[in-house]
Amino acid sequence: MIAQLYALYKREVLKMLRSRYMWLMIMVQPVMWIIFFGNSLAGLPSAFLAQFFGVGSYLSYMLPGMASITVMITGMFSSASLVFDRRMGYLRRVLATPTPKAAVFLAKALGAATRGLLTVPVILAVGALLGVRYSVNPASLLLWVAALVAAGVGFAALFTALTVNTSDFHAPVVVGNFIMMPLMFTSTALFPKQFFPEWLKAISAVNPLTYLTELGRDAVTYGTPPDATAFIYLAAFSAAATAAALVLVERFLTAD
Amino acid sequence: MDAVLVENLVKRYGDVVALDGVSFSVAGGEVFGLLGPNGAGKTTTIKILTGLTRPTSGRALVAGFDVVKEAREVKRRIGWISSEIIVDDELTALENLEIQARLHGVSNWRERALQLLRYFGLVEAVNRPVGKFSTGMRKRLEVAMSLLHGPEILFMDEPTAGLDVGARLGFWEVVRQINREFGVTVLLTTHYMEEAEELCRRVAVINKGKIAAVGTPDELKAKYGVDVIELEVEKPVDVSRLAPFGEAAAQDGKVLIKTRKAEEVLADVVKAVDGVKSVRVKKSSLDTVFINLTGASIEGEQTDLSKIYMRVWRARR
Repeated sequence: MIAQLYALYKREVLKMLRSRYMWLMIMVQPVMWIIFFGNSLAGLPSAFLAQFFGVGSYLSYMLPGMASITVMITGMFSSASLVFDRRMGYLRRVLATPTPKAAVFLAKALGAATRGLLTVPVILAVGALLGVRYSVNPASLLLWVAALVAAGVGFAALFTALTVNTSDFHAPVVVGNFIMMPLMFTSTALFPKQFFPEWLKAISAVNPLTYLTELGRDAVTYGTPPDATAFIYLAAFSAAATAAALVLVERFLTAD
Repeated sequence: MDAVLVENLVKRYGDVVALDGVSFSVAGGEVFGLLGPNGAGKTTTIKILTGLTRPTSGRALVAGFDVVKEAREVKRRIGWISSEIIVDDELTALENLEIQARLHGVSNWRERALQLLRYFGLVEAVNRPVGKFSTGMRKRLEVAMSLLHGPEILFMDEPTAGLDVGARLGFWEVVRQINREFGVTVLLTTHYMEEAEELCRRVAVINKGKIAAVGTPDELKAKYGVDVIELEVEKPVDVSRLAPFGEAAAQDGKVLIKTRKAEEVLADVVKAVDGVKSVRVKKSSLDTVFINLTGASIEGEQTDLSKIYMRVWRARR
């Protein structure tokens, strides 16, 4: 199992590192977010920002949220890449070897988490270039990185589980959007929850993206000590999504 | 022990019966061909034998292990080569081999991989991305990948589909070599008669999910093959007079006689017919066996196609 997981994960990483488009996405997407969206609230008075966002600049509030969203979106690559492998027949090649189905799926999920994780330093670097000042808490930072990996695997598992038996290229994008849109807008990734109506606050309070974002803000925006509860929540989410996906994969993952 | 033993295999996809009670066996060390038209059930059989899908009923043993109950044991002992070449274009030959080897849990893979690359004449391309390889090279890489773990049995599903003539001949040589030098049993599917005749010690003809016949190419030709005597004649002939020689039919100035041993009756046939302009003999081949057993006719299909073209052409006017 470990040997096969290693082999398939290595394949994911090598293919990703050799794709120019992947690099373009990793490098350019953060820049576009920051330039076009990050500046949308640039005119807010800083007293207002400090009161409701807890920090004087919207960019420094938003960057951890953006990191969370990116890690979630790259989860979609896991599901898309599995559909692609099925269409290309690669899944047949793998499933005709003694490789457990779980290894096929875990390699995809870890691959997607790796992609997502690579984007985070780029986001922070672009932010720094544009004048964002970080206040870092090292313990929180470590916990955040762990949380990004856990959440990356969890989101990838969620997307992949829902497209495990299809070879339709459209499925990953459609399913992805059904999950990403609600999660993104009900989380605190982009806006604080003070202005949310009560029902939205309730959703936000169970949304893994909220916890991931808050861990990031502890780590680099506010520089506050780590919040173990948030991390435990995320780890539980990740474990549950992965477990559910493993069951579905064992049952429904076929060569074509 | 048989390398492959298939007993009464049935596979249904909903209402569609893909396999309808297929039985055959492959002896260790032989090259065995599963021959049939498109949709006959060849690929379904391979998918069951490689553990990719379960049969609806029936039993299949590969290397002595049950493909359903002991799928993992089966998969350890087999290699698989697809009709479409499945390799990672972004990765180098060595990386493709590495991943395949690790999937099979081969520990000393590098040594083994380089040995195979040398054997298949790919050693100078070892660190080049596979996307830049020719189709023939990619096919050879795929064969090398299938041999990394020293399989007992190699399944090849239409292995030469899409190869040009040169690459096909080269591939045949590769199959003979790995069978001889690596002692690997080969089960291949094909719809090329020539390929079956060149490579296979024994052949099973499969049609509409059923085995129509099993035997060596010579046995099948003797049993199901026919010679065809074709006479070009000056005036119409009463074909009923030719019945003693075999099934006879007249069509546009020609007389066709299906017979067992064309050489032996040829002289009498020519004597029996007045005004023979020319004589042609088509000897029995796996082609005629195939047509005989599957009811398929390559010529028949071409006629159908020309009818469709005619219809399209008329519709456009």
